[in-house]
Amino acid sequence: MDQTEETDAVNRDELIMQQQRQIEKEISDTIPLVSEEQPVDSLNNEYMGDDVYGSKVRDLAAKYRAIRRTRPDGNCFFRAFAYSYLEYLAGHKEDYDAFKELALKSKDKLVALGFPQFTLEDFHDTFMEVIEHVSPGENDKQELHKLFNAQGYSDYVVVYLRLITSGQVQEGADFYQNFIDGNCTIQEFRHQEVEPMYKESDHIHIIALCSALNVGVRVEYMDRGEGGQVKAHDFPEGTDPKVYLLYRPGHYDILYPN
Amino acid sequence: MSLVSKMESKSSATSPSERRLHKELLALIKEPPPGVKVDVDSVGKNLQEWKINIDGVEGTLYEGEHFQLLFKFNNKYPFDSPEVTFIGSNIPVHPHVYSNGHICLSILTDDWSPALSVQSVCLSISSMLSSCREKKRPPDNTLYVKTCNKNPKKTKWWYHDDTV
Repeated sequence: MDQTEETDAVNRDELIMQQQRQIEKEISDTIPLVSEEQPVDSLNNEYMGDDVYGSKVRDLAAKYRAIRRTRPDGNCFFRAFAYSYLEYLAGHKEDYDAFKELALKSKDKLVALGFPQFTLEDFHDTFMEVIEHVSPGENDKQELHKLFNAQGYSDYVVVYLRLITSGQVQEGADFYQNFIDGNCTIQEFRHQEVEPMYKESDHIHIIALCSALNVGVRVEYMDRGEGGQVKAHDFPEGTDPKVYLLYRPGHYDILYPN
Repeated sequence: MSLVSKMESKSSATSPSERRLHKELLALIKEPPPGVKVDVDSVGKNLQEWKINIDGVEGTLYEGEHFQLLFKFNNKYPFDSPEVTFIGSNIPVHPHVYSNGHICLSILTDDWSPALSVQSVCLSISSMLSSCREKKRPPDNTLYVKTCNKNPKKTKWWYHDDTV
């Protein structure tokens, strides 16, 4: 490669990154972190004249009464999960109390697993603060929605769930190792794919978080595959789901069953 | 008062990012890890720039050398990573450190996590230096230094060899 070509290559990197930042900014300017509830068939707007998706949206609309969209920023699984589960807990006192207890204890557990207490504390404190504010006794039903659209709280919750997930992967390293491809070690996977913000979630993240928190999640898969129906998958298998999510390639939104 | 409005009124005084930086600074002054010393005078009022001195570790190629790091934080810290460069007259000669002070280290960009901290960055850089077996500049040093953006976070790094 001669000198000019190399210089071009460097500038091209910069242009690509600039464009990427521009797209990210557009997304954050136009799409809230978590939207209001919307009718399921509003999905049709994105798939005008697309028969495959059209029939799957019809199928989904027959099973679910509403959808709540999340911002596609790589954190969507964690944000959608947290919102949906806390919303469920606000109406179920017994489960809420058990979860609060588990959340309280989680800090010491993560410290014991080797997470730095110093930074962990911040995220744990804010996480607990959020849980406190969406207790079943809380009258303001909009509080959860406001908190999740305030970046300062919303992102703290996402970070803490990422750390819980990472801790679970560490604890069950023998099991999770089977799901990691290539030459990536468990440590590398945790530090590169779980703990950093904006990194997308895969089955392994979902399984780890569900097991860490003892929560069942049903994910409805909607893609270009044949069959005309969405496919449900429960994590962990055989549990009674408390959280319902819609997965379209690369993105998770919240669903409300009929 | 709702939590959100409470946060907003609090943030007019100090933002979450400033609170976090403040906490980190105090800890670093009180209990610095070996060979790491924050230059307290260099810390600006808004905490957005710090200089940190680090010593080459005994028994490594950098024993007896002293280096200085410049940390810059924006108001999205700790969600955004800090911008970290070597500054001053002694830039370590290392395969991942460019002669303009830019450092190729994945936790400074792609693999940054808000659970990391100034202290953990210092320790990673120190261990990156310590594990070096041959003092040399990155192979593309001349070209990079000539063409790169002033901010290393604007470089699209390709992390290759973690073993050096």
